[in-house]
Parts: sequence; structure tokens; C-alpha cells
Amino acid sequence: MDGKLEVSIDKLPVKRLDHIEENGAEKYPADVSYEEKRLSLIRRIDFAWAVEKDDKKKEKKSAKESSTPWQWQSMVENLQLAHQELSVIIDLINTVEANDAVTVASITRPKPLPHEHLSDLAVSAATKLQCFRHLGKYFKQSAKALDQQVAKEARFYGALIRLQQNWKVKRQRVAATAPSSEGFTIDLFDNSIYDPASIVRPSSISTVLVERDSAGKLAICVPPKSSRSLHFTFLGIQPNTIQGESCKLNPEPLRESEDGPAGDDESVKKTHSMLREVHRAIFDEQVFDLVNREAFNPSVGVNVTGIQENRLQLSLGQGTSVSISLELSSLDDQSSERLDRQNFETAALCSDLLNGVKPEEGKPDSLKKKIPNRACYEVYLQQIFHEHVFVRSKVRHDSGAVRASNQSAKDGPNLLSHFCMSLAHRIFSAKVLIELEKVVSGVPYLQLMSHPAWHSRTSSWTLSMKIPPSIPNSNRTSTPDVYPLKHSIPAFRTKVVVTDNSIKVEGEGAPNVVGLFKGASEDISSINRYDCDLADLAVIILQQVASQVIRWLHEEALKVGIKVTRDFLCISFELEQGETLSLVAHVDPDNPEGCISWWLVVDDGFSEERKLHSDFYDGGSEYRKFLGYLSLDVLYSTLMDLVTLCNGSAAH
Amino acid sequence: MNRGGGAALGSGSGPTAAATASAAQKQKTLLQRVETDIGNIVDNFNHLVNVARVNDPPVRNSQEAFMMEMRASRMVQAADSLLKLVSELKQTAIFSGFASLNDHVEERIKEFDQQVEKSDRLLSKIAEEAAASLKELESCYYSSAQRANQIPEP
Repeated sequence: MDGKLEVSIDKLPVKRLDHIEENGAEKYPADVSYEEKRLSLIRRIDFAWAVEKDDKKKEKKSAKESSTPWQWQSMVENLQLAHQELSVIIDLINTVEANDAVTVASITRPKPLPHEHLSDLAVSAATKLQCFRHLGKYFKQSAKALDQQVAKEARFYGALIRLQQNWKVKRQRVAATAPSSEGFTIDLFDNSIYDPASIVRPSSISTVLVERDSAGKLAICVPPKSSRSLHFTFLGIQPNTIQGESCKLNPEPLRESEDGPAGDDESVKKTHSMLREVHRAIFDEQVFDLVNREAFNPSVGVNVTGIQENRLQLSLGQGTSVSISLELSSLDDQSSERLDRQNFETAALCSDLLNGVKPEEGKPDSLKKKIPNRACYEVYLQQIFHEHVFVRSKVRHDSGAVRASNQSAKDGPNLLSHFCMSLAHRIFSAKVLIELEKVVSGVPYLQLMSHPAWHSRTSSWTLSMKIPPSIPNSNRTSTPDVYPLKHSIPAFRTKVVVTDNSIKVEGEGAPNVVGLFKGASEDISSINRYDCDLADLAVIILQQVASQVIRWLHEEALKVGIKVTRDFLCISFELEQGETLSLVAHVDPDNPEGCISWWLVVDDGFSEERKLHSDFYDGGSEYRKFLGYLSLDVLYSTLMDLVTLCNGSAAH
Repeated sequence: MNRGGGAALGSGSGPTAAATASAAQKQKTLLQRVETDIGNIVDNFNHLVNVARVNDPPVRNSQEAFMMEMRASRMVQAADSLLKLVSELKQTAIFSGFASLNDHVEERIKEFDQQVEKSDRLLSKIAEEAAASLKELESCYYSSAQRANQIPEP
């Protein structure tokens, strides 16, 4: 072809006005129909150049034959040109065949022979059939794709509807930003606990995006490392297992190979669990937030000793510190383990710094006994906040009373102090229990009964002592019993009540009361109530018990008719010549063989002064004899022996 | 379709007439869309079937082939838009089915309340049993021969 290229430009498809009639109506040229447009386009193909070229070729051919640089060059060029011409002519013929709108000048179209006609028909029928087959395949393909889409949609929306029945699903009005997001979000934030007036910033994890995963199923996008949980620990004490105590849910990755209704159920359940995890994490964050707020209101029992971003340390007194922290749950195992280890390292350091006292050496059992179960206190912390803040706010919303809100505002700041005091009480009462058990194990005839008080800051126990029945005495009047007695066996009871950190001991028997035997009114004996410290508890109880035994012995002796005098822990018989024989109780809480030991002391009236100055532990003196750790039966029989002795001496 | 319309109407009849009017309008629009799409599909299918005739003389093969493809893709597109309509309806159902949602939520609340009560009862039962067991064990232990043997012989 020549170098120049002819370009023809179409007319703009702007309707040009043809003419305007007299009445102002505009006339446009009529729209060119589709057919005419086609024809005009075909006619514009200019075949003149082909005709011109032929002439030019003939000239060039003659010109080129004269020069001979390479004899085959010209032939090659001629062949190329001939090939081009042939291709143009063939195209032209095909076009002429295809479109009867273009006719070759001066040649009439030959009448098609019948077989040609039929073959043409056959060809076009076959082509059409081919076309339709192609269309058929296309339709089948699209039908399958549409079916799949329908199924996916059904699954997606089915899952979404099921989620919506339990969670708040929101639609985003603006176009979704993330490409795979479906424009739905699940809002996990519960703003009912906050006042409408206060501006609360919802947690960053409270909005969860809903998207489709690769299989087209509904999936939720939970940001990693977002779910944190509340941890409550005692400082300085390593728990047995870090992971074992917190039973956090470890969601398995969705198994995509499972399809069908069962697989859908599974995936919806898993989605529910994941959402519940995040919901619980939000709750824990809110609780931590409330704890922090309350910790900085001055209140009883709350001593803040350390603050970190996600951690609060409190000191409970009695050498115990606790920490309340927000830590990553075990979804992300590695980092959480590292965090936990770091926490406990710093915790151990802190405890040494804060307390200045090393954790109890020696028996790890006693240590474990003293420290209550940390998991139960974690749950307790969450429970009291949930009950008082969340539930109460819901009630407040329902009732709409202002009074309720005032009440909760008052009670609110006390929750943390209540918690701390409960915990301190538990630790203290564990120590009290250890003391009581020590006492009871040292005195065989003493029994301990626990009374579970359904209050977190009160504990109580009763120490009871069953007295062996005395010799049947017909004169003995049956007295109305205050305490319900089993088989008419009298018993002395001492009650120990611990409220917060104070111990109250209440019991019969009178260390200090001028107790005259009142005959039938044994039951109206005085009841002493007094407070005491932990350190003195054992001694006081033993003294109480010993004085009760002495009182009993006194009564028994009086029943038999012997005149005896009773002192604090001693019962004295008068012998002849002013001598006194005394049975003395000695209490020693730390004695491993027994806590109450009995001594027999003989003294004449002249050696009173000497008694005050002499060494009490001199067991070898003639005035004192160590009897041992006697049981009540043996004591009774000893008493009777002494009575006989007195009688015998009196008879002389 | 009726359920979606019914739900829309039901929610609208409560508050205001404007809401009802807008709901009716929305319903009309949706119906129109449905009709357009279905008309589209039917129309294109008609053309397809018409083109099946083999002409005499057999010309315009390529043109007809192209037209058939075009009509087929139009049909598929109309079907697709119908599907989108269906998803829109589903979305509307999700976000407007308040009555059933409220009922369900209340039912769940009742269930959870019952569960709370049951757990409370269970906990108090456990506590009572534990207290009773403790008392029993204590009295057994303290009156047992083992304890009695602890008495040191004088």
C-alpha cells in the first residue's frame, strides 16, 4: 500500500435542522433507519484505489524489469504485490457474496443453482444451530452461576438472620469501605448501663464487621489481640497453671470443607461463640474501668499500691496484695504467655518491695490454705459488678425512678471496698480457723462446728464440749435446756464470730464473774462476750474452756455435798488444818501434747506468799504435782477421789 | 414479596401516614422493577426465537449471531438484577421485621431469666448440701474413735 492513509470522518450525530415551516414547526431530516445506515457504510468503502493500483502496478512492473541488481528481487516484490491483490479481490468477492447490497458493475448476479442454494441454506442453518448451541451453553453456565449465587445468598442471609436473633446487626448506610465487607456490622456495645448524659466512648472492639469469606459464607472479622479478659491474682503466689485456671474458649478455625446445613449450623455456632467471647471481653473491660474509677474514690479497705495501663494493684493489709489486670486471653498463645510471665515477674518483685516480708517459708500447704482460690474471687468480682451496676441499671431503665439512680450512685463506690473487705475477711478468717483447729486438736474433748454464714464478711464457729454424765442424783432437778441436748448430755458452748477483721468470743463460764451456783438456774449462767485479737485467740479460748471445766467440776462437787471454792482456773478443797488441795488448770496453746494440763497443788495456809514468788513450772516441788492432759472422765474420777479424800480427812 | 410488602405496610401503619405512603411507594417501585426485568427477559427471549428462522437468501449470519449473543446477555443481566432485588428484599426483611424480632428477644429474655433462677436455686442447693455435709463430717470426725485415740495417756 502507499504511504498515505486516507481518513474519512463521520458527520457528527447532531440533528441538523432541515427547514422551518411557516407555523414555526421545525423539521428535521428523518432518522436514518438501521438498514440504511448499514448500506451507507458499506458504500463508503472505496474500491477505487484497487483499480488505480492495478494500473500503477503495470507501470512499475515494466519499469523495474530494466534494472537488475538482484534478479530475484523483483520477482519477490511482484509476488508480494500479486498476493496482496489476490487477498483484496477475495475479500471483495466475499463481501459481495455476503451482502447483496453491493453489486459488481456490469455483471449480473448469476442465478444460483439449486444445489448451491441448498448448500447455502444448509450452511446458514448449521451456523445458526452452532450459534444456538453456543447460546445454550452460555445459558447453562449462567444458570449454574446464578444458582450458586442464590444458594450463597440464602446461606449468608440465613446465617445473618440467625445471628440477628441474638445480636444487634446494623446496616451501614454508606458504601462499605472494605472490599470484602458486606456493609453489615454487629454492635456489641451495651450502653444501657451508662447515663444518657455521660459521654461514653465505646470500646474499639465493640463493632464487628460482617463479611463473606472465600466460600461465600458469613464470617466475622474480629481484630486479633483484641479480646482481653479480667485476671485476678494474688501477688507473690505462683498459681499452679497459668492456662489451666482460665478456661477461655479457643475457637477452632472454620472448616471450610464442611458444607450443607450441618456445616452451616456449625459455623453459625462458632460465630456465636466468637461474638460471645468479644462480648465478654467488653464486659471485662467495663468492669476493669469501673474498678479503676472506684479505686480512686477514698473508701474503706481500698489501698491502691500500683497502677499500670492495664493493671491495678491493691493492698489488703495482713501482708497480702492483689492485682486486677486486663490481659490478653489465650487466643494468641505466645504473646499472652509472655505477658503472663512478665506480669508474674513484676508481681514477685512488687510484693517484695511492698511488703518487705518474704512470703511464708516452710509449709506450702499452710500457705495454700491461707490464700483462697483466686478463680472464685475473679468470678465474685465480676458478679458483684454485674449485679449491682448492670442489672440495677437495667432495672433503673425499666422503672425510670430517680430514687433508684441515687441509691445506686451511693452504693456504687462501695463495691470495690466491699470486695476488698470480703477478701481480707476471708484471709483473716482462714487464719482464725487455723488457730481454732490447733486448739481443738490439742483438747480431745472439744469439738468444732462451722456455721456457714451466707454473708461474705462474717464467719462463725462454735466450740462445744460434751460433759460426761455425772453419777445419777435423784436430787438433781431437770432443768430446762437452752441448748438442744442430745441424749440429755449437757454441753458447754463457746461461739466465735468473725466480722470483717474483728473477733468476738461469746461463751458460758465466767472468768470474771462472781458465779455462785444458783441451783436450778444453770442455764441462766452469764454469757460473756468480748473481742480479742488473733494472737490472743487461742489462749482466750483455752481459758474459756478450762474455766468451763472448772465450773462443771465445781458443780459436781457441790452436788456431792463438798464445800469447794472456785477460782479462775482452779478448784480448791479444804483439808484439815487449813490445808487446801487445788486442782489447777494450765493452758498452753503451743504444747503439742495437749493444750490444757492439770496440776495438783497442795499448800498450807502459811505458804501463800511463797507460792506467789516460786517458779510455777517447778514440777518437782512437793507442793505441786503434774497430773497430765486429762480427759473429762478422768477428771471426774479424780474429783471424786479428791472428794473422798476430803471426806476422809473431815471425818478425822 | 407479599411478606416484604406486608411487613413494610405493617410497620408503617403504626406511626404516621407519611411512613405508610413511603412504604407503599417503595412497594410500587419494587414491583415496577420486577415487571421491567421480567418483561426484559421475555422480550429478549422472543427475539431469540424469532431469529431462529433461516432466511432466504441466507445472509446476515454474523449480524444475527451477534444479535443473539447480545439478547442472551441481556436476559442474564435481567435475571441478575432480579436476584439483587431478592437480596434487597431479604435485607429489608432482616431490618424491618420488628414484631418477630421483639417476640424472639422477649422469649430469650424469659429463657435466660429462668436459667438465672435455676442457677441460683442450684447454687443455694449446693451451698445447703455443702453446709449439711460439713456439719455431718465435723460431728463424725470429732466423735470418731480416731479422734478419741488421740487422747494422750496420762
